[in-house]
Formats: sequence, C-alpha cells, structure tokens
Amino acid sequence: MTIDQEASESSESSAGDQREFAPFDLQNVRFSRAPMLHPGYVDSEVDRVMGRVAEELGRLYAEKAALRDQVRSLQAQVDGVVVPEPPSEQAVRILSVAQQTADTYVAEAEEFSRQVTGEARSEYEELVRQARENAGAILQAAQEAAASIGGAAPGTADGRERTTAELEEQVAYLKAFGQACRVQLRSYLEALLSDVENEWGRADPAAIPPGVAVPPAPRSARGARGSATAFEANVAAEPPEAGPDEVVSASARGERPS
Amino acid sequence: MDIPAMRASFAKAAATGDEAPLYFYSHLFLSHPETRQLFPVSMAHQRDRLFAALGDVIARVDDLHALEPVLRQLGRDHRKFGTVAAHYPAVGGSLVATLEHFDDAWSPELAKDWTEAYTLVAEVMIAAADEAADQPAWWDADVVGHDRRTFDVAVLRLRPRTRYDYAAGQSVSLESDLRPRLWRYYSPANAPRPDGLLELHVKARDGGPVSSALVRRIGVGDVLRLGPPVGHLALDGESDRDLLLVAGGMGLAPMKALVDQVARHGPPRRVDLFVGFRTEDQVYDGPGLRQLQQDNPWLSVTVAVSDDKNSDLEQGDIGDVVLRHGPWLSREVCVAGPGPMVEDTVARLRQHGVPPKRISSEVFAPSRPGPTVDGEVTE
Repeated sequence: MTIDQEASESSESSAGDQREFAPFDLQNVRFSRAPMLHPGYVDSEVDRVMGRVAEELGRLYAEKAALRDQVRSLQAQVDGVVVPEPPSEQAVRILSVAQQTADTYVAEAEEFSRQVTGEARSEYEELVRQARENAGAILQAAQEAAASIGGAAPGTADGRERTTAELEEQVAYLKAFGQACRVQLRSYLEALLSDVENEWGRADPAAIPPGVAVPPAPRSARGARGSATAFEANVAAEPPEAGPDEVVSASARGERPS
Repeated sequence: MDIPAMRASFAKAAATGDEAPLYFYSHLFLSHPETRQLFPVSMAHQRDRLFAALGDVIARVDDLHALEPVLRQLGRDHRKFGTVAAHYPAVGGSLVATLEHFDDAWSPELAKDWTEAYTLVAEVMIAAADEAADQPAWWDADVVGHDRRTFDVAVLRLRPRTRYDYAAGQSVSLESDLRPRLWRYYSPANAPRPDGLLELHVKARDGGPVSSALVRRIGVGDVLRLGPPVGHLALDGESDRDLLLVAGGMGLAPMKALVDQVARHGPPRRVDLFVGFRTEDQVYDGPGLRQLQQDNPWLSVTVAVSDDKNSDLEQGDIGDVVLRHGPWLSREVCVAGPGPMVEDTVARLRQHGVPPKRISSEVFAPSRPGPTVDGEVTE
C-alpha cells in the first residue's frame, strides 16, 4: 500500500512533522500500477472519488479555520468585558436613601408650588368676585336711580317730557357746579403756588441778585413776575447737586432772624 | 414554569410597599448606571407604576396570549423614553435580584422561572419596538403659538418637524426640556391638518410641574417632544349618525377635534356640541367656539355654567343641560371631561335611552393623584 507512504513523505517534506491528512496530500497520492493479470479499480473512478474527497476536506479545513477565528474574537470580547459585580447591599441602601431624600424634596417643592398657586388662584377669584359684586351694586344703584327718576314722574308722555326737562336742568346745574369747582380749585392752586414761591424766595434772600430782589409782599399782592424772578434766582443760587438736605438748611437759614 | 410559586414570591416583594421598587431601581442604577438617565429626578411615582405594571403582568402571566397586545403597546411606547434592547436584560437582572432579596424561600428553580418569564415578556416588547423602528421614537415639535386665555389656561400651537400621524380624539404624550422625563398626555383640539399644526389646550394644575410649565414658562420657539398617539375616543368610521358631543372643561379639546374632523372629512351630519364650565371666567375659548359655529351651519354650540349665577350663559350641570335639549336617542355620543362629569353625563344619557355602545367617553383625570402632589392630567 503506497498511500500512507506517499502521504507521509509529502507531509514530511512540507511541514517536517507529523500532521493531519490535508487535501493537498490526497491530490498527491499516486497509486502503483497493478499487475496486468490482476487489474485493480478503474483509474478514472478512483480519481473522481479522490477529487471529491479533496474538495470536501478543503471545505472542512476552511470552515475549521473560520470557526477558530470566531472563537478567538469571541474569546477576546469575553476577556474584555468586565462582568458587572452585583452591587453590594450597602450601596443599594445608600442609593435608596439618597433617592428617597430627592423624592421628598421634589414632593415638597411641588406641594409648596401647589399651595402658592392655590392661594394665588383663590385670591384672584376673590378679587374678581368682589369686583363683580361692586359692579353689580353700582349697576343696581344706577338702575334704582333711574327707576326713582322715572317713578317720580307719572308714567305718561307728559311725565317723560318732565323727566327730560328735569334731567336737562340737572345737567345744567352740574355744569355750573363743575365750572364753579374749577374756578375755586384754580384760585386755590394759584394761592398755593404763590405761597410756595414765597417760601422759596424767603429761603435764601442773600442769593437773590440785589437788582431783582423784591421785598416779600403780602401774599395777596404778590405779582406773578416778581415771584418768578425770585424763584429762578433762588434756584440758580443752589449748588447744582443740591439735595433735599441743603434745601432744608437753606430755608432754615432764611428763617433765621438777622 | 411554576406560576403559583412565582406569584407567591412576587406577593412577598409587593407586600413591602415601596421597599421592593426602591431596592429594584437602586440595584438597576448601580449595576447599569446608563439607565438612570431614562428616568425623572423624582422616582416616587415611577416606583408605583413599575410594581403596578409588573402586578398586571404577573396576574396574567399564564396567558401570555392575552397579555401580548398590552406588552406590544408597552414596547412601542417605551421607545420614546430612549429604551433600547440592551436595557431589557439589565432590568431583568435587577428584577430577579430584587425578588430574591425579599424572598426567604428563594430557590434556583424560582430564579430560572422568573428569568424565563421575563425573557418571554421582554422578547415581545423588543419585537414590537423593532417593528415600529420605521417610525421615529419621538417627534420634535416647535411651539409656534402660545396664548394665555385665562388665569390658568393656555392654548399652544405646535408644528412637528416631521410628519406626525394621529386621529381626531386621540391623545399625544409630550415632554419638555424644562421638565425632563415627565411625559403627560394632551389631546389635540384639531383633526390632522395639511400644514401639520397641532392645537393643545393646557390647564395649569396647582403644583403640577408639567402643566404649569406649559402654561407659564413655555413660549414660542421652545421645542417639545411628542410620543406616539394613544386613545380610543374616535368616531365610528362606518357611521354617519348625527353627533352629540359633550365636554366638561378641558375635555373641549378632543371634542373640537371631532368637530374639525367632520368639517374636514365628513360625512355630512348634524353636530351638537355642549360645553360645561364652572364659571363664565373659565370659558377660555369663547371666540373660537363662536367662529366654529359661524363657519359650520350644521353645528350648534351650547356653553353652560354650573356655578355662576351672574352669567347669562345657560345654567346647570352639563349633563342636565344636555338632557334639557334632547331627545338624543338617535345620536352617536362622545363625552370627555373630569371623572364625575363624565360618569354623570353617561349615566343620564343611558337612562335617557341612548344605547351604551353608541356612547364613547374619556375621563381627563389628573395623571398623578396623591396626597402630596395633586398634579397632572391625562389631557
């Protein structure tokens, strides 16, 4: 039998040590010629089988190599992964307490916000309600007034005319009253103004330029022109940054008997 | 899987109240710190939710088939939180660790069963999330209008940057950078428009972090994130019955959307819209409602107040007012508003003789009821 011989020879020549039967080995197998009188297998059949065996072996080798690579890469992955240690009871407890604390704070903040908004809302609603009531009361009063005006007159066309006449009379009265008020208010304000100017003028008489200085006149006799001059002069005499304190002290000086 | 044993071990953890969820989240954040950023600063309400949700799952774990739609919805909806497939095993690990911690009779068999059950649940959720991968996880939307209507109500107009599909009557969850990781539901007040604009009606709840921010702090130019739309309040596509729409307070928003839907897409039908407020001051959309009525001859709008004697509007609880204007026996009815108002109105309409299957309703309740934080609404 020459297969083993041939195979071992060829493998020794290529790798130098005992190795597995490779597809290459199969291809290199040469069968010895059988004696003429005792013919062996048909050569072509043997060759075909050998070819197929070689092919199959090649496929298996390739698959083996691929699997080896896969095992290596998976092994590398497994080696690289740090399997997470289950957390210790103590760590779990600490985190639980921390989380509960955070939860409490958030709940308290929300509760606080709820209270504040709730109060704001009820205050708002109360204000609106009051305003509504007030408006209602005013409206009712107006209606009652209208009714009393209407009620004072008999419910006839004549009554309506009289009502209109009365109203016109009232309007005229109110206009006159308003005018009188304006006049009174204006004279009061003017008096007030001149009083103020008077005080200003007296505040620092020394500061008033001599030429313009007007002796304080009785309030009623004060001319608008004179008071204006005194006012301006006094202001000009004050330092630009004069504050309230300085004004007070100036007026105090003015009141000092000389 | 030994389901009774699993239920027993879950009951032990659930019996500890807040302890078990507290342990779970601390364990999760310590072993996978990257998951912390998926949650809001305060975890108080999150903890309640987790165990409530797990309880639901456990109650039906032997019938995963029935559970599947819920889980799929959960899986899709979790995308907006930034949840990815890698987070699921992390959660599973911490869940098993938590159950083990609170169970003095823990066994390797229980660990195996729980891991198996969790893996099944997670696979359904991940698969649903993957199927929705052609949609964005969330939609950025610019605030293009902000209109303070009353002391505590604002009308916002949003323009999503990419196409956002929804149906009139549905709700949209949204989140703002001002209140990160706090998602709240609001219902657009218009049907989808060609220009994509959404109108939202927001009432600031006292102490409600998101609603207050939306009313008082957000302005034109800010950006909100929208989650996928949810909700069941919708018109029967087959029906062309005349409509009766009843809204209490902020429940007006989805009702306006339904009116808009009829106006845009038909079919032609009479629509009677009843809107109830407590006082006339609270009627935040008077001009809008008048405009709607002017534009649409098939629409009648009635606004009523229940607690405002000085008002010229119609007086009474809205359910009462609706019945005064009846009969409504042939109508398709939609009701939205606060819980008591919805219950009252639906009960009255049923008594009136409207078949229950023709009444759809949605309660707009505060999303976070609680003794300390009376907060948000599912609007």
